[in-house]
Amino acid sequence: MTPRIPAPRLAALLLVTLLFPIGCTSETASVPAEKKAEALRVAVIPKGTTHEFWKSIHAGAIQAERELEGIEIVWQGPQREDDRAQQLALVENFTATGIDAIVLAPLDDRALVAPCQQAMGMGIPVVVIDSGLQGEMGKDFAAYVATDNYRGGQLAGENLGRILEGRGKVLLLRYDEGSASTEQREEGFVEAIRKFPGITLIDPERYAGATRDSAQREAENLLESGSYDGIFCPNESSTFGMLLALRAREMASKVRFVGFDASPGLLDALRVGQIDGLVVQNPMKMGYEGTKTAVAALRMQPFEPSVDTGVAFVTADNINDPELQPFVAPPLSEYLDE
Amino acid sequence: MSGTSEPQRTPGALARQLRGALAPFIGMIVVGAVFAAFAPENLGPKTWRLMLVQTVPVGLAAAGMTYVIISAGIDLSVGSVIALASVTGALTLHGGHGGEAAVLAALLTGATCGLYNGLLINVLRLPPFIATLGTMGFYRGMAKWLSGRAAVRPDDLDGLDLWLRPYPELSGAPAFLGLPIGVWVLLGVTGAAALVLRRSVFGRYTLAIGSNEATARLCGIRIGRTKLGIYTLAGALAGLAGLMTMVRLTEGDPTSALGLELDVIAAVVIGGASLSGGQGSVLGAFMGALLMTFLRNRCTAMGLPNYVQEIIVGHIIIGAVAVDQLRLRRRGS
Repeated sequence: MTPRIPAPRLAALLLVTLLFPIGCTSETASVPAEKKAEALRVAVIPKGTTHEFWKSIHAGAIQAERELEGIEIVWQGPQREDDRAQQLALVENFTATGIDAIVLAPLDDRALVAPCQQAMGMGIPVVVIDSGLQGEMGKDFAAYVATDNYRGGQLAGENLGRILEGRGKVLLLRYDEGSASTEQREEGFVEAIRKFPGITLIDPERYAGATRDSAQREAENLLESGSYDGIFCPNESSTFGMLLALRAREMASKVRFVGFDASPGLLDALRVGQIDGLVVQNPMKMGYEGTKTAVAALRMQPFEPSVDTGVAFVTADNINDPELQPFVAPPLSEYLDE
Repeated sequence: MSGTSEPQRTPGALARQLRGALAPFIGMIVVGAVFAAFAPENLGPKTWRLMLVQTVPVGLAAAGMTYVIISAGIDLSVGSVIALASVTGALTLHGGHGGEAAVLAALLTGATCGLYNGLLINVLRLPPFIATLGTMGFYRGMAKWLSGRAAVRPDDLDGLDLWLRPYPELSGAPAFLGLPIGVWVLLGVTGAAALVLRRSVFGRYTLAIGSNEATARLCGIRIGRTKLGIYTLAGALAGLAGLMTMVRLTEGDPTSALGLELDVIAAVVIGGASLSGGQGSVLGAFMGALLMTFLRNRCTAMGLPNYVQEIIVGHIIIGAVAVDQLRLRRRGS
């Protein structure tokens, strides 16, 4: 019963392994060939690739690519969305394959420190965007370009308290364990909402999880087990999951609901009053400034080591204000061909 | 069954055996050649070392999973065991008990999880798929509970963090022949597991159970005891993989290795194992794991989007199993 692999099996294995890589690569291989060989290659590494948010970061990076001469953006996220080990391997792989600079939105503020140190040690500047990294600026990474997440959470708390006129029960659905940026938002929110003595904060320490799907389930369960006057969710997927759950119970627009981040679905809900307000970031600016900073560091030009890309509170009333358009309607189609 | 206890020693059989052992390597070399042709840049020894480092967790778990799959079982709880062991390892370090204790804690955690899987399968007569589907949630929940739902971050890794540095010379990490300790652990475990499978009574029993459990029982093999051994071994190796994951991330993260069981199973299947049991190779599983790391690395080097890589790996799995089915049908007719 010794396992053996007969010739046909070998042949088929060879065929399969040969055919598919060729089939897949022949179309895409021509793209980099068109670009200048001597262009500086900047890897932009998001936490995932499916959220609207990351598409805006991508667009911003391409905006910088078009504006600056002689650079090429390489956009790649961890294969499994939100997988720390895979993002770590991705940074290592880019470092090993001789990338010129890295723009990284770290999934974990500690696990990603070592590969960033490594890259910096090899003379590859790393610009951290979106979420913080527990390291020394200038040594473990070159610069930090992000939203002030604590301020964003505060903004949500202040506005939800104002909308509720300082009275009622407020539910906080947290995002995910160990995600630094959303934890800061949650902290900021809690700090601001506690300033309203008439508001009871209900924080069951339940987490929405990484996807809309998991957020929807968690939100349904929370709505099943209690009644609330106001709700806050700290990111796009948790806000969307909560919105779906509210709609299913015919509670949308009956509860005062503040979310975080903008996507077309959330903005539509804002316009019809199912969401009262959204704290919005400027991810396109984050991608743009992050890339520009990385190139400046690479070219030994002066750059700002710490950039706040700003937050705003959008409601149905101010959604069409011109100064809010970069936040709610970034011109993605100009940069992404989707 | 005649071939189980006494491997044939004719030249033809030897040649076939050699070819069988080499098959996954040949697949890898072909894929490697194709990708090296499209992305030749930076495919030196340092990149190969990096790929070995990245293969360590999946490779270790795959060595154990090979035994499980050969015995016609499956272990879906591997990813959760890795997370749980990385948490207990990190908690041990956090409590200041040192590196050796952390290694022991991770191994014991894994072995206990594996033993429990085996007991569920033996005592409650649950199909392995169901038993480990259940414990997948159980162990993941345990990991989140023990860690307090956030990554456990020991202040001092007691030198364990030097085990898997992809560039040991840069940080003065211990290395032998240029490879960090963790890689040697993987190579050692793979070699030992391959040897035990081919040469020991336990290994032959594993193959016999997977080929035909009823016949193995009639031959006097203690099925229950052997299965307990198989699942405990697989668990212990998953525990070791958990330790390595903790070393890589420098923290015990309860959400790590989510869905990793599928990578592990894929590595074993690409390496020539049959999910209907009785067939498989530890070396093949190692090569399967390395192949997936290699594809990831080359897709990054070529700037290919993730979906291309998912399409490729998906087809390699389909191809490997399709060929296996073809072989089974031929044997049947």
